[in-house]
Amino acid sequence: MRINKTILTIGLPALLMFALLAFFRQSGNAVESPKAPPAPVTVDSTRCIAQTEYMRANHMKVLHEWRNSSVREGNRVYTSPNGSRFQKSLNTCLGCHSTNRLFCFNCHMYANVRPKCWNCHLSPMETP
Amino acid sequence: MKKILIPLAMVAALALVAYVGVEYLKLQFIFGVVIPYAAAVLFVAGFLYRIADWLIRPVPFRIPTTAGQEKSLDWIRRNPVESPHRAWEAAARVLSEVLLFRSLFRNTRAELRKDASLAYASNKWLWLGGLAFHWSLLVIVLRHARFFFAMVPGFADFLDHADSFFDVTLPAFYISDAIALGAITFLVARRFFDAKVRMISLPTDYFPLFLIGGIVLIGVLMRYVVRLNVMPVKDLMLQLMNFGFDPPGEIGTLFYIHLFLISVLLAYFPLSKLMHMGGIFLSPTRNLCNNSREKRHVNPWNPDIKFRTYSEYEDDFREKMKKAGLPVEKQ
Repeated sequence: MRINKTILTIGLPALLMFALLAFFRQSGNAVESPKAPPAPVTVDSTRCIAQTEYMRANHMKVLHEWRNSSVREGNRVYTSPNGSRFQKSLNTCLGCHSTNRLFCFNCHMYANVRPKCWNCHLSPMETP
Repeated sequence: MKKILIPLAMVAALALVAYVGVEYLKLQFIFGVVIPYAAAVLFVAGFLYRIADWLIRPVPFRIPTTAGQEKSLDWIRRNPVESPHRAWEAAARVLSEVLLFRSLFRNTRAELRKDASLAYASNKWLWLGGLAFHWSLLVIVLRHARFFFAMVPGFADFLDHADSFFDVTLPAFYISDAIALGAITFLVARRFFDAKVRMISLPTDYFPLFLIGGIVLIGVLMRYVVRLNVMPVKDLMLQLMNFGFDPPGEIGTLFYIHLFLISVLLAYFPLSKLMHMGGIFLSPTRNLCNNSREKRHVNPWNPDIKFRTYSEYEDDFREKMKKAGLPVEKQ
């Protein structure tokens, strides 16, 4: 079987572009009609939203989910499994955790993982 | 078809072995510590053995493949790279082969057209695909230095930044991941769809492709989809680098599949065509300079033959020859 040149030169890049597009669009793109937003909650930093062990392993998933749902869908309220409600904000965590200025950096320097949080947000290093 | 499906099934079975071993039999220590060490030993020892084996093979004569005018009279223009005359020219040729795949760039392809005419044309797809494949894999491997060193070397940092240049998705999308997956797909498709290449392809051609494809795919899954916790991974890798034997922490099963497939790749490396990684530097048709006409290369293990010249022969038999009436050169 001979590969048809046209298919190769047009089809493959097109397929690749399609796959890339699909990859980048991810799931947050589906625009739904906005429902009535849940009652807003104020930033509450007195309790943790989940167990320490869970947050150590999964904070990136939580924050990623928070970013998408709060920025793209406007849903700024997180309800934890035990029913407590928190504002989906870095401030909810950092209101207490930033007392340790190296709270994020200790592990992130060690693992050499550098998400671009502090391009926009104030890091615990920068807050007084 | 069988020679494609069998390697594919083998890779799937290997992944399944790691999955069952970690998920159900709880063999984290075996898959996280013992097997990687064993694979590293096999890789280093096997690689050194193959290289040493090739190094001690004598290469008495100059057998470079050339595609250019060798050094001759002064007024004949020579081609220093295609027909190297000095060692550094040969080194430049080997390096250009290693880094840029020059011989693949020259690939021409014969094709029987529909009107039954035979056409020859330059075909750069294999060159491009191979280059993309090898370079992206190199970048990916070097980037992994961030797991192996407590103080991450500067080049790994630089590669990390350059590779996540687009800065989309969280964690940042690596360009080399997409290039590697695309190139592997192309290289498999080439073997599959081109009848001539399919004919000469063997299971040992498909197996490394599927294995590396599986490794890259699982790496991509861990990074972008599952978002694995890297802290225990870094702990484990630093420990392996320091030859420790502590059991690994709580890491997802995908990581063990990734690590096991890499271990298989390392162990398989010295036994397979992947040894072209070391062999390309030792290939005598590439790394010798073409100076046979300038310099006499004597085979060093020629036996020391005792020659007997005619004059010696005549010295021994002169009297007898004279008596028999035979002509002699010296009276």
